[in-house]
This record gives sequence, C-alpha cells and structure tokens, in this order.
Amino acid sequence: MRRLARVAVAAAALASSATAYAAEPIPEFRPHNIRPDVHTDEGGLWATSDEVEQQIKASSELDHDAQLTGYVREVACKVAFDYCNEIRVYVLDLPFFNAAMAPNGGMQVWSGLLLRVDNEAQLAFALGHETTHFVRNHSILAWRKAKARTSVAMVVSLVAGGAGASILGNLVYLGIAASLFSFTREEEADADRYGLQRAQEAGYDPAQGVNVFRSLQAEVAASDFDKVRKEDARTSIFDDHPNTAARLAAIQEEVKTLPEGGKLEKERYRAMIRPHLGDWLKDDLRRKDFGESLHLIDHLLEQGEDLGVLQFYKGEAYRLRRKNGDLELAQAAYALAIAQPDAPAAAWRQLADVEQSLGHADKAKTNFEAYLAKAPDADDRWLVEASLKKLSAGEHS
Amino acid sequence: MFRKLAIAACMLLVSACASTNVKLADMAGPKPPAGSKILIIQPDVQLSMLTAGGLLEPRADWSQQARDNLAHEISATVDGRSHTITTLDPSTVMEGRAGQLMRLQEAVDVSILTYGMMGVVLPTKKDKFDWTLGDGTKVLADTYGADYALFTYGRGSYSSGGRKAAWLVGAALGVSIPMGAQQTFASLVDLKTGQVVWFNMAVPPAGMDMRTAGGAADLTKALLKDVPL
Repeated sequence: MRRLARVAVAAAALASSATAYAAEPIPEFRPHNIRPDVHTDEGGLWATSDEVEQQIKASSELDHDAQLTGYVREVACKVAFDYCNEIRVYVLDLPFFNAAMAPNGGMQVWSGLLLRVDNEAQLAFALGHETTHFVRNHSILAWRKAKARTSVAMVVSLVAGGAGASILGNLVYLGIAASLFSFTREEEADADRYGLQRAQEAGYDPAQGVNVFRSLQAEVAASDFDKVRKEDARTSIFDDHPNTAARLAAIQEEVKTLPEGGKLEKERYRAMIRPHLGDWLKDDLRRKDFGESLHLIDHLLEQGEDLGVLQFYKGEAYRLRRKNGDLELAQAAYALAIAQPDAPAAAWRQLADVEQSLGHADKAKTNFEAYLAKAPDADDRWLVEASLKKLSAGEHS
Repeated sequence: MFRKLAIAACMLLVSACASTNVKLADMAGPKPPAGSKILIIQPDVQLSMLTAGGLLEPRADWSQQARDNLAHEISATVDGRSHTITTLDPSTVMEGRAGQLMRLQEAVDVSILTYGMMGVVLPTKKDKFDWTLGDGTKVLADTYGADYALFTYGRGSYSSGGRKAAWLVGAALGVSIPMGAQQTFASLVDLKTGQVVWFNMAVPPAGMDMRTAGGAADLTKALLKDVPL
C-alpha cells in the first residue's frame, strides 16, 4: 500500500511536469503573417511542414498545370479573404477525395477531390474547411491535446501497472489512445462550420456543402467492398469523423442559419477540370473499386457534357471489372463514346477489341481501321495491324 | 523503493559515461590528394523532443542549434587539413538537378546504414563496400568546382522532463520506458565518379549533446574518425 502511495506521488509529479510545459495560449483566430518562434512547439511543427513542402514541390504527383493550380488558388483566396497571402496551394494527382492543410499554410488539394465536386461552390466549401484549419490554429490545438492525452495515458497506465494490474493498464492506455483518433472531431466540426460560412461570405451557395457529403455517401454506398460500405469513410478530409451522417446533419442545421442562394459556377468549374478528366479517371480506375468509379462516372455524366471521354472510361471500367456481361456493357459504352466529338481515339480501338472478342469480325475491322485513321502515328499501330491481318485471314478461311 | 530509484538514477549516470558507437566502413578508392577541393554540404539535422506520453515533437530550435554547431565543427576540422573547402546550404538548391542529387545521396546513405550496419545483408554488398551515386555527380563537381563532397546527417530525439520522470517511475516499477536517442552519419563522395569513398555512423552517448558546442565538437571528432581528408 505504501508502495502504491509513493508511485502515485511520483506519477503526480510526472503529470504536473507534462502539463508544466510553457505553452503560449492559442488565440481564437490566427494573427496575420506571424511565423511562430523556433523555440516553441508550433515553431517545430512549422519547420517540419517546411520540409514536407519541399518534398511536395519535388513530388512526381504534383500537377504542373499552372492554369489549374492558379484557379484552385483563386478560389482558395476567395474563401481565405485576408489570409490569402499566407496560403500556398499544391494540386496533387492522387485519386482520393482529399485535401490537407499544413500548419505553415501549405495546402494540398488532391485530384480525387477535384473530380468529385460538382461546381465551384462545392470546391469553395472544401477549401473553406481547409482554410479554417489554418485560421483557427487547429494543428497546434490538436497537437497539444494529443500531448496532454498521451501523458495522462502514460500516468494512468503506470499507476495501474504498478498496482499489479498490468492488463488493466493496457486497457486504460488503449482506451485513451483510441480517443486520440476521435478527438479531432471537434476541429473537423469547427472547420465544417466556419468553412461553410467562408464559402457563403465569398458569395457561394452554402447548400452545396450539404451536397458534398451527400455525393460522398452515395459513392461509398456504391463501393464493391463491404468494408468500405460499412466504414462509411475513406482517405478523406472527412475521415476522422466516424459518422458522415451525423456531420451531414450538423451541416444541414448550419445551412439553415445562413442566407439562401449564391453562386454555383458549374460551367466554369467543369471547363477548368475538363482537360484533366481523362487522366484523373484513369488514375481512379487504378483504385480497383469499380462500383465507386462507375458511380462517379455516372454522376459526371449527369451534367450532359464530356460524353465521349466519360463513356470511354465507363467502358474501361467494365472492361477491367470483367464480371459476367461486362464485355457487352463495355461494348455499349464504347459505342456511345465514338458517337461523340470528344471521344478519344482509343475508344475505337477498345471497341474493336471487344467486338473481336465477341466474334463481330466486320465491326471490329471497321473500328480498327477507324482507329488507325484517327491515330496514324499510334505506338501500338503494329499491334492493330496484326489484329487486322488476323481478321482478314479469318475472312478467307 | 528508494533503493530502486537510486539504481535507476545510477543507470542514467553510467550510460552518460559510455563510449561512442563508431563503425567504420571499408575504404574504397585512393585518398584525395593534397589540395583537393572539398564541397561541404551543410549538415541536415532534424531533432525532436520525446514527450512524456511518447510523441515526437519536432524542435526547430534544437535542429538549428545542432546544425550550426556541427557545421562549424566540421568546417574547422576539414579546414585544418591540406584541402580547399567550400560550403553549400542544401536547402537553397533543392529544386534543381543538385536537389535531386541531395535526395539520392540521402537514399544511398540510408541504404548503407540499413544494409551495412543494421545486420541486414544484401547478397551483392556482403563482402564489399562499393556504393555509388553514379557519375551524375559531375553536375556538382562542375557547378561548385569541387572534387569531393562531404554529407552529414543528424536525426533523433531528446527526452522531455516529463519523459525522464516517466522513466524514473517506470524503473521503480520495473517497467522499461525507451528514452530519446540520436544518430549521426556522414559520407564522402568522389564527385568525378559518384563513388562513396568513406562512410561513418556515430551514436552519441547520453552526455554528448550536439545542441551544445562541446557536445558537437566531441561528436564531430567521433563522426569524422578516419575520414580520408
């Protein structure tokens, strides 16, 4: 018993030393153009963020389209207001719905997000969310909370361990460690609320924030994988929250408090991402979740634009999925693609390939020839010529 | 109870007297002739604080202090030999071809550490030390008019007061809690061929603190042991 008492005293000393760390109080909103002192915990986070930013600049995932980055930056600036000059935007070609804000103002926006938002208003909400992380000092807040929590966990598990109940000690530690992953809920909710307000103040329709969550839910529900459908979350800025539905409800309440209406900028938005649709869809198919990819493509098709590119990738999704009947579905999608002015040349080749597999030699021949006419310098010309030769030989046999 | 605490405190003191853990790689290639031009790449140092609960908190001030200390000591050491030295701050060239070489160098050095000193053996590197960056390093030779480049890295953590208290409490209870530790490594590269001619790793003991001038001087001495300059 005396031993336990002494351990408790030592543990109390440890607990007080953990909290005694001289930390500057965190203001509600970040003061402008202040680089934290190197001697502070926040200074350390900034130095690390600077390192990460150097790596991003040299990353092969960095999108070098200056016009696209400039556009995303422009929207970020609209919702950042007077924090605009403190934020740097990097577009990364990564096929997941994600954006991130580093403590030092370096903002990453992934192509998977750009592919999934419908208009500028939705992008503005997402960027407003990220900007809020910076403006409201969420990184340092989250860091200090994590530090306090892990220290408490250490003390509690040591005391419990010292009392001879090491299993209990582990459970306490695990319990608190688990809460570490959900505590950012507070910051995420804060970012949702302020992000929505920022988008609204910049003139965008706040109701679009609700649509971002709805689209996300619908896409997740279409996943090929049970695990994804049940988890109701993915690699995303909305990841840390266990329940998208609860968050959607909170946003809906928030929207009611804001003035109705506002800009959407749907056409302008699509025009900006149009040159990248093909590359980004190709990346998306690499995730091998065809349920989600097909849902996404159908969603993009609803706007009635870019039908050639979208139908082509719909065909690609079916071709790669290879379930029963997918060959026919792919054929139908490619056929719709080649009827559109924006169909990529590859659509004719893929269609011909499928037709050849399905035994439609004449159609296959016509479409292989159409492909070579549209892409006379294609790298795979020799392959297509070989297929044509085989098809012609078949005719004579 | 107090006896246990006393033993724990003793262990702290004993570890402060331990010697450096210096490992020396084989020589590959001739020693640079007198009058060679040596490009000293400023040390890349990242230090953090190990919190009571076991998180690593990056400490920009410690990293900066240690970087300045090591840079000063390395220059002073090499300057005393028969070569001409130039220094380069790598953070100023990270976006060009030179930046790619800095990253390649780090990757090669980490491979040398992993496959040469950590007990993991690559069949092709078993009996020889023949690591190279390839002759693309000529870019550095031409740009900076140098024959050799010396790279230095420092990584690690120092325990916070709370962590030390946790260690004491843990020791009293017979629970082992890992403390902060640091590691430094350095390599000398022939810029004409890209060959890594010398490599060394030094792990400072508890009392040798690279954040202080004296600690950095002792550590640099250990780190540059047998460097063929």
